[in-house]
Amino acid sequence: MGDAAPAPITQMRLTPAEHARLRRQQSRRRALVAYAFLLPNAIFFLAFLVFPILFLLYLTFHNGGIITPAEYVGLDNWRKAWTDPLVRTTIWNTVYYCLLAIPSVFIIGMILALCLQRVPHGSGPFRSLFYLPTLTPMVTAALIWLFVIQRDFGALNIILGWFGVPPQNWLGNTSLVMPTIAMLEVWRGVGFWTLLFLAALLALPPELYQAATIDGANGWQQFRHITLPLMRPTFFFAVVMATIWNLQLFDSVSILTDGGPSNATATVVWYIYKAMFQFNDKTGFAAALSFVLLLFILFLTLIEIRLLRRRT
Amino acid sequence: MAVQIEFAELSPTLSGQTPPRRGRSLYLFAVYGILLLAVAVSMLPFLYVISSSLKDSVALFSYPPEWFPAQPTLDNYRSLLTDYPFLRWTLNSLIVATSVTLIKIVIDSMAGYAFAKMSFPGKDPLFLVVLMTLMVPFAATLIPLFIIVRDLKLTNTYLGLILPALANPIGIFMMRQFIESLPGDLENAARLDGCSDWQIFTRVILPLMRPGLVVLGVFLFMNQWTSYLWPLVIGTKQEMFTLTVGVQSLRALFSVDWGVLSAGAVLSMLPLVLVFIFLQRYFIAGSIAGALKE
Repeated sequence: MGDAAPAPITQMRLTPAEHARLRRQQSRRRALVAYAFLLPNAIFFLAFLVFPILFLLYLTFHNGGIITPAEYVGLDNWRKAWTDPLVRTTIWNTVYYCLLAIPSVFIIGMILALCLQRVPHGSGPFRSLFYLPTLTPMVTAALIWLFVIQRDFGALNIILGWFGVPPQNWLGNTSLVMPTIAMLEVWRGVGFWTLLFLAALLALPPELYQAATIDGANGWQQFRHITLPLMRPTFFFAVVMATIWNLQLFDSVSILTDGGPSNATATVVWYIYKAMFQFNDKTGFAAALSFVLLLFILFLTLIEIRLLRRRT
Repeated sequence: MAVQIEFAELSPTLSGQTPPRRGRSLYLFAVYGILLLAVAVSMLPFLYVISSSLKDSVALFSYPPEWFPAQPTLDNYRSLLTDYPFLRWTLNSLIVATSVTLIKIVIDSMAGYAFAKMSFPGKDPLFLVVLMTLMVPFAATLIPLFIIVRDLKLTNTYLGLILPALANPIGIFMMRQFIESLPGDLENAARLDGCSDWQIFTRVILPLMRPGLVVLGVFLFMNQWTSYLWPLVIGTKQEMFTLTVGVQSLRALFSVDWGVLSAGAVLSMLPLVLVFIFLQRYFIAGSIAGALKE
């Protein structure tokens, strides 16, 4: 009786070739399942992201297409984009805006995050209140700011008046208008960066600070030699993302100034929108400008990744 | 990207940095002082616009302005709701944001599962493509997308508002990170018990990733609710405006009626604030996790 038991096992043993075949069959089946899981997303991804990028490249070599049929014009649109003085203005304005807004929002956000980390009580309500502007659609935030910066009855001029500052025309003055836009974006964005930095601060290992305290390091030294180096990955991420977002400045400018006064707030995306939808059928030119934006952002992002990676 | 996404609620803990006991109360005084100042700056614009929305047209332009209206009135809200299709705009935003959120949650968690737990030829290059497209600004694809959607005859339709939003790759990335952190044991146990891949996904993976799904959902909804550029170019009829486009049209259509404008600004942020009160921690985790793309 006992001798009969091993027999079925011998029959089930596979030859190596058989085993390899089943293995291949199984992995092919697994791959098909994986592709099936990716398929729904792939359809939208290809149709509304990959294809539009290729189509954009095609459009830069053509003209018309909105009202008239498209015709091939070679490098004409690129030449126009290169020589158009307004293109240079918009690129400079956009970069200027980034240089104003990104450092301000990071410094204020970091200060507030450090404060929130240190309060023993009430950090929760503070976090919610800081976050409220971030929650507001940019359109609404811009409309709210119309009331703040309005020349005659705006809150900002009234408050500055208490300190003897004469009323300013925030949106009408070419040298004040971009800082005003940056101020609005900082107001709306600071809660987001505060909470991002706070999350990173709370994840830092407390042992390091305890050791540093025992060694007699003061608060600034701890910040300089422990906090900042450990926060580097967070800053790295923050700089890359803030650049990608802020180079696309459009909503606030389109609502508050529409590029003015005298093109002082004309940004790249604003010009793309104008060229496409409000000037006469400048599709090819707008496409070339879009491609410039795409390349510019990719280029800057890659440079930032390289620079920041090397230092880490 | 080298970022650890923290899904857990941010807990208010004091880390090891306690200042010396001497001068501690002064130190805390300064810290609270900075925070209170920041809260005042954050809140003042809201309070000022709420106060303005309750003023009549005389009080709005009185000088010096009243911080609190002496005779509050709801007239601005009444004329916003009767003279403009404000509720229709809200409904449009709700339809678009809900559809995008629900569809994306399903297809992104599927794709995220494939990238996290399955092996197939081309996996790494495909994921690299996903990562690369995270850097593509939406504004750069605006023009080709507009032409595609117009040629599909989808301008002024919900479908036209929804479809391009479904191509955003951020959710795939978020869901892959999340599913990768799940233990494989349950999945293997289910496979031994004879579950199909689809059953494993729906009965094992999805229930485990509920917090991640809420985070993704909140992020997508918020993103869609606040979006402006695409609804602006694709909706030309007033009844197909989303809330953002509709509210800004209050300013663009005619000489500014400041009262109605302030009422519109207040009402347009009300829905999100209400949701925020209930889902706070998911909002914060969601926006941080989703920070990868606008």
